[in-house]
Amino acid sequence: MGMSGGSAEGNDKSEGQSFSCKNKLTALVVDNGGVCRVIQTALLRSYGVETEAVETGEAEVELIASGATFNLIIIEMLLPVLNGPETARQIRTMGAQSMILGITAFFDERDQQEFLAAGADEFIEKPLSPEVVIPIIRELHN
Amino acid sequence: MERSPLLRQVAHQRQTLFDEGLLDEQFVRLEELQDRTNPNFVEEIVTTYYQDTSRLILNIEQELERRPLDFGRLDGYMYQFNGSSTSFGAKKVKAECSLFREYCRAGNGEGCMRTFQQLKREYATLKRKLEAYFQLARQARLTQTASPPG
Repeated sequence: MGMSGGSAEGNDKSEGQSFSCKNKLTALVVDNGGVCRVIQTALLRSYGVETEAVETGEAEVELIASGATFNLIIIEMLLPVLNGPETARQIRTMGAQSMILGITAFFDERDQQEFLAAGADEFIEKPLSPEVVIPIIRELHN
Repeated sequence: MERSPLLRQVAHQRQTLFDEGLLDEQFVRLEELQDRTNPNFVEEIVTTYYQDTSRLILNIEQELERRPLDFGRLDGYMYQFNGSSTSFGAKKVKAECSLFREYCRAGNGEGCMRTFQQLKREYATLKRKLEAYFQLARQARLTQTASPPG
């Protein structure tokens, strides 16, 4: 899962340590909420992750279908039309090997089960935080 | 270097937003994302937050006028509202979002309407106080630029 090897130090602002990604990771944020999209993108970029963002599951599927690859994809649960789990299912069917993080405004166990069954690796409640991002970045580098 | 009275006022006003429970630690994380390459990040987030949520408020208001109430749609709008408010750090607004959703799930229209009114009050209070805070912060920056130390 993911693409790069090599060591990584990190920009862990909450712990005050130095952290910079030597091998660039890439991420895609899929969220129909403007402020959520901006914040998640900014957080990932602050850790040196090259991040793009789209508003819909359909846009994500198109991007993957066009050949784009990402180490990490963060997908909102309740997207309009093509919801989060269905989006994850479709890109897994297309062969995407990204780490997929499902994210929700309100944690619900059924949503978690649905998302994981669709191919997500983890499922968390907003907000996306350094406590979540840093271990993921370390795992992707390993 | 001793802080100017204006800077102390800015710091005090900022702290009040947390002490009054309007903002939580998520807002601090947003402030930590602001740097030289993105010096207006927090204000831009505030603008985006109010753009996103003002649209949702309008949608919810329209839904609350329909009969019978569509609790599914209301729940959906409030889900989005909560996601934005949580990511922004709007603590009291977030609490009202959760309460609203509970009333939706219970099919309690009166509860929804009452909670929505309270949500709008908290939302407006936060907006007013953030605007005042940023205005003061801008004033402080201008004063510092005009009177460099030395």
